[in-house]
This record gives sequence, C-alpha cells and structure tokens, in this order.
Amino acid sequence: MTRGAGRALRMSYLVASVAGVGFFVMSVALLGVWPKRVLEAETRAMAPEHPLGLSVSELRGRAIYGREGCGYCHTQQIRYLHADMARFGAPTLAWETRLDYPHLWGTRRIGPDLSREAQTRSADWHFAHLFSPRAIVPESVMPAYKGLFEGAATEPRQEARDLVAYLDSLGHAREIAGPEGEARARAGCECGDDEMAQMAFAGPVNAHPARARRGDAAPALPATVNLAAGQVLYADHCATCHGASGAGDGVAAAMLLPRPSNLAEHDYTVERLADALWNGVAGTAMPAWREYSPHDLAAIAQVVRGFRSGGVEAPLPEGLVALGERVYAANCVQCHGERGAGNGPAAAELKVAPTNFQRQRPSLAEGLRALRNGVDGTPMAPWTTRLNEAELLAAAHYVRGLYAGDAAR
Amino acid sequence: MHAHGVAAIVTLLLSVTFGIIVSLELLYPDWGANAAWLSWGRLRYAHTQGIMFGWLGNAFFAFLYHAVPVLSGRPVTSARLGRWMFGLWNFAAVGPGWVLLLAGFSQPLEWAEFPLAIDAVVVVALVLAVVQFVPPFFSRGLEHLYVSSWYIIGGLIFTLFAYPMGNFVPELVPGASGAAFSGLWIHDAVGLFVTPLALAIIYFVIPAATRRPIYSHFLSMLGFWLLFFLYPLNGTHHYVFSVIPMSAQVGAITASVLLGVDVIIVVTNLLLSLRGSGLFPRDIGLRFAAMSTVFYLIVSMQGSVQALMSVNQTVHFSDWVIGHSHLAMLGFATFAGAAGLTHVWQRIPTARYNARALNHGYWLLVVGVVLMVTDLTAAGLVEGRLWQSGAPWLDSVRAARPYWIIRSLSAIPLAGGFIAILVGLVTGPKGAGLASVEASVGLEPVAAIAPRLAVVATEAS
Repeated sequence: MTRGAGRALRMSYLVASVAGVGFFVMSVALLGVWPKRVLEAETRAMAPEHPLGLSVSELRGRAIYGREGCGYCHTQQIRYLHADMARFGAPTLAWETRLDYPHLWGTRRIGPDLSREAQTRSADWHFAHLFSPRAIVPESVMPAYKGLFEGAATEPRQEARDLVAYLDSLGHAREIAGPEGEARARAGCECGDDEMAQMAFAGPVNAHPARARRGDAAPALPATVNLAAGQVLYADHCATCHGASGAGDGVAAAMLLPRPSNLAEHDYTVERLADALWNGVAGTAMPAWREYSPHDLAAIAQVVRGFRSGGVEAPLPEGLVALGERVYAANCVQCHGERGAGNGPAAAELKVAPTNFQRQRPSLAEGLRALRNGVDGTPMAPWTTRLNEAELLAAAHYVRGLYAGDAAR
Repeated sequence: MHAHGVAAIVTLLLSVTFGIIVSLELLYPDWGANAAWLSWGRLRYAHTQGIMFGWLGNAFFAFLYHAVPVLSGRPVTSARLGRWMFGLWNFAAVGPGWVLLLAGFSQPLEWAEFPLAIDAVVVVALVLAVVQFVPPFFSRGLEHLYVSSWYIIGGLIFTLFAYPMGNFVPELVPGASGAAFSGLWIHDAVGLFVTPLALAIIYFVIPAATRRPIYSHFLSMLGFWLLFFLYPLNGTHHYVFSVIPMSAQVGAITASVLLGVDVIIVVTNLLLSLRGSGLFPRDIGLRFAAMSTVFYLIVSMQGSVQALMSVNQTVHFSDWVIGHSHLAMLGFATFAGAAGLTHVWQRIPTARYNARALNHGYWLLVVGVVLMVTDLTAAGLVEGRLWQSGAPWLDSVRAARPYWIIRSLSAIPLAGGFIAILVGLVTGPKGAGLASVEASVGLEPVAAIAPRLAVVATEAS
C-alpha cells in the first residue's frame, strides 16, 4: 500500500470512528436528553401548585417494592389507550413520576397496573393479600410475602406497613389535587388539537374497577340469572372471605376487619346486593366487582340470597313493641336514620356506612350480636353498657321491622 | 480463555435454574414463600443478569481470547490483565451481584438489576476488556480490518458508553425522563453488547469453518454501520403510548422498522456465505452459527413488527415480549455463544471434546427454543386480546396458565441441552475437537505428524 493510500485509509477510519460516536451521541440526545427537557417543561407547566410528596414510610415502602421486583409483574404506567384508561384510569402524566428515583414503570403486566392504587383497597385487604394472596384471590399467582409479617396477616411488621403505605400513595398526588389540579394540568398542557394528549383528561382519574365507592347508582340487575354460573363466580371470588356457605367464615375472614358479612344471617334486597357488588363497601375490604357484567352480578346476588335459611323468628313480646321504637329513636337514628335507611345526620361522616335496614334485614340473633358486641372495625359500638336486655331485644326486633323487601325497587 | 468458557457454562446453568424456578413459581406460587431470597422477583433479577453477564459475557470473552489474536495477528494485551479481568467479572461482579440481589440489594431497572456497587465493578471490568482486546487491532495497523474486528471494537467500546444510561442515569433523572434513558440501555444492552459480539462470532465461525470467504465484505460493512446507526435509536419503543414525547416514540418505531432492513442485509450476507454447507452443517460450531443466524432474522422481523403501534398496543406488557426476549437471548445470542465456544474448543489441542453430546445438545436446544417462543408468542396474543376486551383481569391469568405449563415443560429440552453442552466440553478425549476438524479437511491428525516433526527437529539441530 502506498503512503497516500495509507493516509487516506487512516483518515477514513477517523471519520468512521467520529461518525460512530456521533451516532451514539445523537441517540442519547434525541431519545434521552431532548425528551427529558420536554418532560421537565411539562412537569413544570402541568403539576399542581403544591404536589403531594412521599412520606418517609412511603419512601421505605417504595424501596421494598423495588427490592422484591414488584415492578416486573405490575406496571406503574397507564398508557394513552382506551383499554388502559377504562381499566385503570387517566394516563400517567410526567409530573406524577417526578419523584421516582429510579422510575418503576415496568414493561410486563402479569398482575394489574398499580398507578392508581391509592384509596382503591383497604389496608387489611392489602395485608391479607401480601401475607397470603390466595387466601383472597384463589387464582392469583402472586408470591406470598410472609417475611413482612410476624407470622400472621394481622401482625404486619413495619416493612409491610411501609409497603402498604406506598401502595396507597400511588396516584394519590393527582387525585388529591382535585379538579383545580386537573384544570391546571389541562391549562399547562400544550394539547392543542392533539387528540392523544387530550386523552389524559378524558375520563376519571381513578377508574379502578375494584375501587369501593359510596353512592354511585348501581345498574339494574337482570331478573333472569344463570344460577350455576353464579355458584362458580361465588366460589371463585367470594368464598375466600364470606365462606362457602356464606357464613362469613372464609379463609381470609380472620384477617379482615370489619369481618366479612355473614350472608346467611341477613335478608338482602336485590338492590342492596347490586349496590354492594357494584360499589363495594367503602371502609371495608369488600371491593367493587365492576369488571363483571350485570348478568354475572345478578347471578352472584341470587346465590347470596339463597344462603338465608329463612326460618321464622320468635315474635316480640307484646309489651316491648313500643319500647323498640323508643330505643331506636333515642340511640340509633343519628346514624341509621329515622326510617332505618342508613341516612342519619352522622352517616356521611362515618368510615363505614351504617346499615340500611330497609334493604337488609339481620336475623334476630345477628342483630343481637351486633348490639351486644358492636361490629369491630366499624363505628358500631357495643350497647350493653347503656341498654338493658329488654331494650336490646326490642331494638333488634324493631330494626327487622324496617325491612322493605324487594317491593321497594 | 478456558476459565471463561467453564465459567460461562456454570453461570449459564445457574441462570437457567433461576429461570426454571421463576417459571414454576407462576404455576406453584406458594413454593418458596417462606424464604425471601427464593421469591419470584429476586430470582427474576438474578436470571436476566446471570444470562447477560455470567453466560454471554464469559462466553464472549472466551471467544475473544481465540479470535482477537487470529484477527489481529497480535496477542491480547496481557495474560495477567486477563486473570484480573476474569476474577473481577466472576468473583466481584456476577457472584456477589447474585448474592446481593437475592439478599435484597438491587436496582429495580431492567437489564440493570445489579446494585450500584456491582455496576461500578462491571464498568471497571469493561474498561479492562477494552484494554485487553482492542489495542492488538491498532498495533497491527488497521489496513485489513475484518468485519468481526469491527464488531468487537465497536461492541466493547459502545457498551462502555451505553451501560451508564440504564444503570446510573435513572438514579439521577426521575420518572418518565429516567424511563427514556432506561429505554436506551434496555435496547443497547442487546444492541450494542450482545448483538455485535454475537455477530462477531458468527462472522468469524462461518469462514473459519467453511474455509471460504464471506459472500460480501461490502454488505458486511453496510450492515455494521447501519447497526451502529440504528440500534441506539430504538430505545423509546419500549414505552409506546407513554407520556414520553410522541416524536421520540415515532422516531424509535421508525428506527425499529429500518433495523429490520439492516438485519435482512446482514442475514442475507451470512446465509449466502453459508451456501453449500446447508442449514444444518456437519460442523457443530458452524451449525450453531447457522441456527443463530436464522433466529436473528426471525427475532428482528418480530421486533420490527411489534414496535408498530397497532401491534404494540396489544402485545406490549404480555408474554409475547417474554417470548421475543428469549428468542433474542436464548435463540440468537446463546446459539452464537455456543458456536463460539464449540469452535474455540475444537482448536485447543488440550481441551476435551465430545461431539456426540454437543450434537444432542444442539438439537435439544433447538426444540426447546422453538417450543418456548411459539408458546409465549401465542400466550401474549391471548393475554393482549383479553386485556383489550375488558374481561376481568383474572381471566388473563387463568388463560395464561396452560401456556405457562408448556413454557415450564420447554425447560426440559433446554436444561438437557445445556447439560449436554457442558458434557460435550468437559468429557471425551483431549484434542478430539482438533482431530475432528483435521479429519474434516483431510489433514493427518497432529498426533500422527508430531513424531515425524520431532525427527525433523532433531536432524535440524
């Protein structure tokens, strides 16, 4: 090779090497640095005025989430796709991830996305589920994290508490920012006529189908049901807590407070069951079952109504009828309401909604149990210190008389 | 070199064991519930890091100790440096990395799960690898740089650049921005570390084993430059429909499609170089290289398709992607690694070599990979459809179960294949590999020539 050709070759290698490095630098610039600048600008423009941060406990929980590889089955990124939004809620905005060092977006979903997990499930549901996932969801493939507990779901160690605190923070900042936050984000968004960018504000922030809500109108359940299908659904999804025969004695029952209802000891109107299935029971571990069709829910409701043996209760002694009304009026109306519809003046303030006796009739034994022991995990306190036996008996009878039955539909 | 080869297989078997346990834990989720270090998430971390650094890293280095002197005509920089590198890589990075992951010290970032302390060791070891393998090319002069040499130099140097993007930057840049950088490394780990070194092996083994030059040096160079141009621009396709600017997403998707074009160029060149040897050549090293080439084509076509928005919205987050990554790492890269190891083993006069076991290993692996990838691809389509249909979440878990059973069953041929390869490389007569190569070209075995050479040597003195 001549000298000149050698020099030309060296020169071309030099050019090639510079180009190679240049390509790489370009990729970092175009797909790393530039998006970072855009996202930082978006964060500044769209974040609420004082966005919620993470507490020390939530940060510790975040580390546990990372350590255990939770992100390899649960994403924390809702995409700008209707299927994602319908299932989980509003697409993840840049500002919502501003504290994620490092990010936990994930690229695989074996379990559902957790971006909007805040206020979706109760803490004891999470504890029971982390301790023994299949005690709650029989077909779950999630590993059990028994190491976070002192041998029982009701004995969470600090690690479990931190992790649940973290889960309950996911999506909270956006929700707590409220309509003002959404308005600010929308104003800051250079959405223009970009349909995809506008999707971030198209639906509810948290659309999680299992999230318990209070007072949403439940769909009317169809009258004809497939009982066999209902029995399968009940066994798959309800029996772990409420027990195979509805006695509130499923494997998970002891892990939850308040305890799962004893379905065999209550008469329920269809409306009441539709409400509980569609909205869940806020303040308890009972989630909503909105992923399931009204047909499925109707079938489940039918199964639940079948648990009640419907025996005839001993009649109330004649002299106590007026007493029941007096006791109820003096002690119960504040929460359960004048007509027992669970709409007393204090009802809205309570963590768990008071029972609506028009739609749900406890057996006498169940009513007395609640009056004597209270209902642990709810504001219902024991009444034995304030009411004597006759008064308790009268009150238990009285609330039964408030039941309106299905005619109220 | 020998040490790296053995370390490669040992870490491979451990990583595969992690993978098998992880797949079984999806079927028997209560298994190992009382031991945190056996839990799914931690073993999953150990599985992928072990495959990339333990198996592929060691296999590549073993190959480079053979290939770099051959390609450059110069020895590697230093044997002592090599011992340091080996020690650092295996006893300061992979080994302790695994222990730390299982003990709960990790970084929840894909392909970057080793904790930061280990990341630092990896960077040092990568620098040593550059020092060890790159200077020989320069000391010889660069007039006749073969494509494998380009890939070796490019792969080693650019891995060093890309590694921090996924391992360090997301610790400093939060959330969505961090994910953008993370995406760069997720793709570059495969694109700038695994692919160039795997292609270096294939481009090396084919002409060495067929004793014919490659079909076109021009196409080999075109493929090389397109690869280094396009691969790094793919990163954001891991986050399609995310809040990362749409232009970055679209750019990455376009690059992903163009990458398919590049792979067609590379694979055409490789297959044309193989012509006359058939798709299943007699030589085992060459046969691994040929199958690796085929897997490379399929996985890249699949990659181009799954980056498209309409496909991505269905298959993203599903088992389809798990199938894709196994086709890349277990199909393409592992077969290239096995090609490199077998080829090198055949050329070490003192190495044991058992052709029968290697032959069985090859076929078991082919069956395992095809079964697993087909199964997971189908599973992904089923999951994706169920998610889009709005069916209850559990339906998708329930529907995946039969596919997960088949996936776990595919571990039987795969594990059997890897054990057979280990057997093939540590049993059998010493020098049997060399003898087989000599026989295939009609040479007399060294053992027969040696006494005559000895006579010549004595006479000369």
